[in-house]
Amino acid sequence: MSTGPALFSILRQGQYLVASVHTALDDSQMLRLQGDLVEEVGRSRSRGIIIDVAALDVLDSFGTKTLGAIAEMARLRGATTVIVGIQPDVAFAMVQLGMGTGAVATALDLEEGLAFLDDTLALPSTVRHGQ
Amino acid sequence: MTATSAGVEGPPPEADELLALLRRVVGARVGGHPDAEDLVQEAYLRVLAASDRIDPGMTEAYAVTTARNLVASHWRQGDRFKRHQHRLVDLDEPDDPVRRMEGIEDQGAMARALATFTDDERELLVAHEVHGTPTAKLAAEQNSTAGAVAAKLHRLRARLRVEYLLAHENIDLPSDECRPVLVAVSLRDRRRQRETKAENHRLRCEVCQDLALRLEQQEPERDDFARIRIAVDADIVTARQKARELASALGFPGVDLTVIATAVSEMTRNIVRFAGEGQVEIELVNGEAPGRRGVQVIVRDAGPGIPDIEAAMRDGYSTYHGLGLGLPGARRLMDDFELVTADGRGTTITMTKWQQGAKK
Ligand SMILES: [Zn+2]
Repeated sequence: MSTGPALFSILRQGQYLVASVHTALDDSQMLRLQGDLVEEVGRSRSRGIIIDVAALDVLDSFGTKTLGAIAEMARLRGATTVIVGIQPDVAFAMVQLGMGTGAVATALDLEEGLAFLDDTLALPSTVRHGQ
Repeated sequence: MTATSAGVEGPPPEADELLALLRRVVGARVGGHPDAEDLVQEAYLRVLAASDRIDPGMTEAYAVTTARNLVASHWRQGDRFKRHQHRLVDLDEPDDPVRRMEGIEDQGAMARALATFTDDERELLVAHEVHGTPTAKLAAEQNSTAGAVAAKLHRLRARLRVEYLLAHENIDLPSDECRPVLVAVSLRDRRRQRETKAENHRLRCEVCQDLALRLEQQEPERDDFARIRIAVDADIVTARQKARELASALGFPGVDLTVIATAVSEMTRNIVRFAGEGQVEIELVNGEAPGRRGVQVIVRDAGPGIPDIEAAMRDGYSTYHGLGLGLPGARRLMDDFELVTADGRGTTITMTKWQQGAKK
């Protein structure tokens, strides 16, 4: 399913949800992503969430906190979250800013994210194709 | 876009209709450009001047053609101006109220504004702005140089903008500090603004803050400067993208572009969250070292202010307090960082990122 005009998309892939951000998001749009994802976890009974933020121009304090909040809400609903695609420039700025994703798991890209979820959830690695 | 077709017989159009037509023609070509209204007025005057030569029923067609030609020659002048900007002191400022003395706006206010000048100053302004006497001729009459006359006119025009606004709005300035601040803003002279402590004054003085914002709005569009009003979430994204765009024109590496965008995002968010409304100015500036350039970002609001700056500048503060969120982080991201705040009067943050390495 997708929400709005291609701001982000949320796709089901096996037992996982893959959320891809397509463009710079403002705060309200970040919160919409959060709401949609947490809702979709329940609907699809997903065990894992991958959030691909490669297209985000900036991860400032609000963006970072929102990602943390998504992960925590998903955890309370029984799903593990991994953030993928943080660009080197964005990572540098986050560190300077003093923000980190803290307890939220991160992986380099989508493939690594899927591998991480497979390992963490100890599922048979049948979902590890399809990119 | 011309709703009225040429050649229709009938009485000549009323002034209002003609002006509306001209605004459509000019607007379609230059949009909201600050000079648009001047071009409209100029075209209108030319049509009036030629009215006895125009066949009845052809007034509108003549007006449309005149407006098109004016727009075209205006752009040519714009190009020439850009190419010779470094050599020209005698800048035309067609967005000046004086230029619009003929016909529109508030004639009484203009007269009251002009009355605040000395006779010499007034004569100079009227000779150049209204009668179009060239600066060289004025200089010869005054035993001066064209450059000196142009510089003087530039200052007088800046003052006139202020006086006209005050007269038009019937405003009495609350203190003696106000006028120099407003003139410095009108002059767009950063050094004068520092000398008059303009930033500080604007935070304390609502009257000046309001007037200064309006004086600044009269500025023409520039490709090394942007001002963005901040009121809603989406404005934060607009501001950080604009900062990135301007900085990339200076050739900043990608990582710095993201760093600048992140700092802008953090600081403008404070406006949306706590002040409700404000603005950000992004400007390409020159450093002290020759050839060194940077991006300066001035974030300004008239919100509640930050009661304890020292605490706000410490990491962790924002965990417990809303105001001043992200200040320490933004300071780390930028090279220069300066904050002026007054309780209940708002906050101004000036931060700069310099090319080639930080001076921390
Ligand atoms: Zn004042």
